[in-house]
Amino acid sequence: MINWISFFVVAFAAIASACIVVILYSLGLRLMSTAGKAPNVIPAEFTDAITVITPTEAAAEAKRIRKAAKRNPLSPTRKRLALAAAYACFALCGACVLFGIYLIIPAFHR
Amino acid sequence: MRSHRKTPVDLSLIVVLVVVLALFFDFTNGFHDTANAMATPIATGAMRPKVAVALAAALNLVGAFLSTEVAKTISGGIIHEGPGGISITPEMIFAGLVGAIIWNLVTWLFGLPSSSSHALFGGLIGAAIVGAGFGSVDYAVLVDKVILPALLAPLIAGFVAYLSTKLAYVITRRYDGQPDGRAGFRYAQIFSSSLVALAHGTNDAQKTMGVITLVFISAGLQAQGSDPQFWVILACAIAIAAGTYTGGWRIIRTLGKGLTDVKPAQGFAAETSTAATILASSHLGFALSTTQVASGSVVGSGLGRRGSSVRWRTAGRIGMGWLLTLPASAIVGALSAWAAGLGPLGILIDAVIATVVIVAIFIISARNRVSSKTALEGVNEVAQSGRVVKIRKVKPKKSAGKRSAA
Repeated sequence: MINWISFFVVAFAAIASACIVVILYSLGLRLMSTAGKAPNVIPAEFTDAITVITPTEAAAEAKRIRKAAKRNPLSPTRKRLALAAAYACFALCGACVLFGIYLIIPAFHR
Repeated sequence: MRSHRKTPVDLSLIVVLVVVLALFFDFTNGFHDTANAMATPIATGAMRPKVAVALAAALNLVGAFLSTEVAKTISGGIIHEGPGGISITPEMIFAGLVGAIIWNLVTWLFGLPSSSSHALFGGLIGAAIVGAGFGSVDYAVLVDKVILPALLAPLIAGFVAYLSTKLAYVITRRYDGQPDGRAGFRYAQIFSSSLVALAHGTNDAQKTMGVITLVFISAGLQAQGSDPQFWVILACAIAIAAGTYTGGWRIIRTLGKGLTDVKPAQGFAAETSTAATILASSHLGFALSTTQVASGSVVGSGLGRRGSSVRWRTAGRIGMGWLLTLPASAIVGALSAWAAGLGPLGILIDAVIATVVIVAIFIISARNRVSSKTALEGVNEVAQSGRVVKIRKVKPKKSAGKRSAA
């Protein structure tokens, strides 16, 4: 029969690692938007793109972000702190991914 | 490989045939599985299609060189299943590959993401049954290593994706109506999908290397238990990268648009779950199909976002494809093994029929092409793929609104 213990180990490892990466990146984005620097990434344009945003919509979104940044209630120090924390989250997230790559390369484990 | 010359002519001919077929299978594998990594970033516009497939191809190439562990398992054990080990002949491997390739191309024609590894196992099992009898397959191992993981893989991946999609949305949700920056997930998608492509390279290119090495071992050209030769690794890496770059656009459409409308946060969550599940399982020695994990993740992420709907009809079609993959490729493999059993003439007949079928599938597919080229020519690719995979168009919910379009 199937080895249920190893199955649960796999399931747990997958849940833990995916959640850690997603939580860190989401937290980074959240802190970016708290700092008034919500990223505005316009989808790549190609014929028949599935996600389409017109230039007007993109400009409106950029304006909304600028406006929100102006009305940001945080003090400059706190903004800087939030931004630094956001970058720390992204860095940590990247480190986790690199660790994952490290794990799959057997050459590192000899 | 000068040692070829010492072997009888017909033996080295079949070895050459198997190597060519195995590399073609590798090509169809890459071609079939581009979607696993790149369907969601293309769907959300994180990358242009050509850039995405080029990145996936490069990472598959790199991934193929990273490890030969899986290849060694295949050439050293998996196919020699059963007590005492059956003696697998190059003819049987040839027949199995024919089954795997034909099934891979049929599912591609219908835009179904089906498991290339299951097609390979199915083809080999069918060929082994005809070539060496029903006793040659260890059914307990088959259930344990192939069938149960196939049922569990999409469930684990779906659950992980559901959870991480929920988390991504909860963490970035802003109740004060300020910009939530979720478009920033597009950058993350580039990395998460690259990780999936890398994982695919380390897993799937290995399978072909294993098969080619197995043929050399069974033909007595290489010592038992030895590593794949360097040119085999190189050829497999190039074949899978070329296949990936060509891109199975039909399957990309099914995964990227057919199952659910993928948003950047969802895409990132789905890709991270796919990568995490594949890496966790292959690291801990639990074989899962890349394709099934990726499809499970996309459905899970669709369930995890508020106001998104999963098209269960498409999911059902994909599920049917999975159920059929093993038996269908086994039947083709068995037929082709039966023909190959007739001797050199049988193998010739096999090769001719396989070529005819492959060419026919490409001709049928050319009638309604789905490729990145049609995009350049200005033909509506989405509409075309809709016709090919028969997706019912579902209008986006009004509540989704403009804001979540970002």
